[in-house]
Amino acid sequence: MKLRTLLYFLCICFTLLTVSCSQKPSFYNKYTSVFKIGDQQEWATKEFNDQNWKPILRYVPDGQVFWSRTKIDIFEDSDSLRPYGIYLHVYGEYEVFWDGVLIGKNGNPGQEATLGKVGKMWTTHSIPIDLTKKGTHVLAIRTSLYYFPDHLRISGLKIDTYDDLLADRLIETSYMHLFAGAFLIASIYFFFLFLSNKKEYATLIFSICCFLFFALIFAEFIKAYMAIHYSMHLVRLQIINVLMVCISFLIPFYFSTQFPFPKRKLLLIIYAGLLLYIFLSRHIIELTSNNMALSMLVFSFVIVGYGVYKKRKGALLVLFTLLLSVLIGAVTPFNKSIFSGFTFILLGMFYLLSLRIKEQRLAYENSLVQSTRLRLELLKKNIQPHFLMNTLTSLIDWIEEAPKKGVLFIEALAKEFDLFNQIENKTLIPITQEIALCRTHLEIMEYRKEINYSWEEEGINYEEKIPPGILHTLLENGITHNLPLEDNSITFKLTFESNNDYKCYTFLTFAAPINHETTKKEGTGLKYIKARLTESYNKQWDLTSEPMNNGWKNTIKIYC
Amino acid sequence: MNILIVEDESRIAKRIERMTRDILGDALQSIKHMNTLYEAIRYIENHSLDLVLLDLNLNGNSGFDLLTTAVSESFHTIIISAYNDQAITAFEYGVLDFVSKPFNRERLQQALHRAISNEKGITNPIKFLAVKKRHKVQLLPVKDLLYIKGAGTYTELFLVDGRKELHDKSLEKLEQLLAPSFERIHKSYVVKMSEIKEIIVESGSKYMVELKNGEHIPIGRTKYKDIKAKWF
Repeated sequence: MKLRTLLYFLCICFTLLTVSCSQKPSFYNKYTSVFKIGDQQEWATKEFNDQNWKPILRYVPDGQVFWSRTKIDIFEDSDSLRPYGIYLHVYGEYEVFWDGVLIGKNGNPGQEATLGKVGKMWTTHSIPIDLTKKGTHVLAIRTSLYYFPDHLRISGLKIDTYDDLLADRLIETSYMHLFAGAFLIASIYFFFLFLSNKKEYATLIFSICCFLFFALIFAEFIKAYMAIHYSMHLVRLQIINVLMVCISFLIPFYFSTQFPFPKRKLLLIIYAGLLLYIFLSRHIIELTSNNMALSMLVFSFVIVGYGVYKKRKGALLVLFTLLLSVLIGAVTPFNKSIFSGFTFILLGMFYLLSLRIKEQRLAYENSLVQSTRLRLELLKKNIQPHFLMNTLTSLIDWIEEAPKKGVLFIEALAKEFDLFNQIENKTLIPITQEIALCRTHLEIMEYRKEINYSWEEEGINYEEKIPPGILHTLLENGITHNLPLEDNSITFKLTFESNNDYKCYTFLTFAAPINHETTKKEGTGLKYIKARLTESYNKQWDLTSEPMNNGWKNTIKIYC
Repeated sequence: MNILIVEDESRIAKRIERMTRDILGDALQSIKHMNTLYEAIRYIENHSLDLVLLDLNLNGNSGFDLLTTAVSESFHTIIISAYNDQAITAFEYGVLDFVSKPFNRERLQQALHRAISNEKGITNPIKFLAVKKRHKVQLLPVKDLLYIKGAGTYTELFLVDGRKELHDKSLEKLEQLLAPSFERIHKSYVVKMSEIKEIIVESGSKYMVELKNGEHIPIGRTKYKDIKAKWF
């Protein structure tokens, strides 16, 4: 149900996005621009014949002035109160002429070397109303390109009412910044989450991705309100590209941690190499981003596809978000699709993360339940009928037959109950306490079974701690599943060794085994010990239980 | 009486033995104590017994394995156990009594008395009769049982589906376990009362019951009045 709601949500987002990205019909038509090196004021005029001008100029050395002329047809007169404006994205410092009239100035063309860097990459100029009547007009730009003599082009040109040109950019920018803010907050939040649990690298990767995405949006849209001189433009593009490389690597990397596949490291290294190659080759900057985004998508697809094939949780939905971002990429221009596409992918990652967090929560709740269960099991040792009723029956008998011994028996019993009370709510107790527990238990069992039990210990480090009741459980097993030796005795021996790698308890039972014992399955005792060891040492332990020559041998190894 | 105690707690076993000797006095011929399941089964196979006093949890093994074997034998079984929750199941298997630990002399005496006196009327109904088959013991649902015919020390169980099985317990012991829904109507027959269709009086004051399946079974002359008074 939850998954379906999310799918609907994504579909709606997608529809809204494609609708908002569709273009409104244009009321002007722009012809190809033509260029000429030189500087004559009459080149600005509408009537000037530019037939011998060239559509492309490759190189203008030494910051020389050159002109470009662009014919523009306007199909509708402008509203008398809302003049048209022109938005330009042009390299260089320039003056803008409309039908021979100077309508804007950006820097000092021809004097860049002497007057320094003035102006910006993106400019908006209003056009006088009387010059925007229906018909053909000429846009002439007088430019110099001191810093990038080979970047002769008009990268962007847009005509609309002047107000809209200004407002649209601000609206777009403010929305994108809202967006960026959301990712910044997500990034900070998940970073804090990571700090509180440093084993969760997925959260860190997600946090970094969010931050990089925030930075990417910022780098892209900062141009709306910060004057960036054209000489600095490349720096900005390089920043964007570096961000792209990082994101393009991290997203598939993230997916690879969520949906592991064979030879993961090798494939990731190859992929990183591919990204670096694209980044360093960069013939055309826009294409570089494009290629990186494309390889990111392809690689992610393969990983997530593998995840779906392996029926990993959440893989199907992530595949769906990837498909959505591909669809968006197909129907919208790159500079828009890159953001929406990334957003969907990040949402997919977010979804995965929430799945993992849910899993962790469940695991945590499970561990709580498990701890309670173990505690109850420990408590139950003393009230389970087999122990309690047999003890009481023997006790009654002792009191009836030998009251003084009966009192000693009661004292031993009281001591064991007392010890249990002390340890019942702990997950680790001093080894001395556990040994005391074992000794009292033997005392009780001696009264019950009338067998000579003895306890030996060797090499014990009395500072060590141990989960409660595990040696006691081994002892119980030893008592239950063995018969006394010929001299009516059973001896238990606990030895301890430790080195840099592990600590090892060996618990030996010297007794006669019961013939034809049928218990092959694991008893509840061993299960209890294993659960306790897991509770305190995770998987860093080993338990072996095997017969030996004259009894039974248990070893508990705890790795450091 | 020959008695076997199966108990892995030495102090308790001694207590049972002491009390049993005390209660039965001269009636006791032999009493033996076994520590483990395996020893107990071997002993049962090779000795003639009248009563087994059995603990249900031996050295960590469930005594139910031994229990099914024990109840299929000719002797009665009394459970002495710490697991009260298993009492009902034990009765269903056909034990004579269930003494829960800790127990006192009176309770043990009551149980032993039941074994000696052929006292009937166990409160918990028996559900199965354990029948010895080749190498195994089969539990036969009591609801499938029509009547039992004594055959020396053995008995023959006649079942609803027409089959016949042999049981090691005497007619008296089975009667004790199966009461009150079964009744001894003849020195050689115990019949499930709900299966009786009618009583037929034949010439020469011979009394027969006709079962619902048409079979005729004789009624003992001495039993007739009691049965007539109690059931009809």
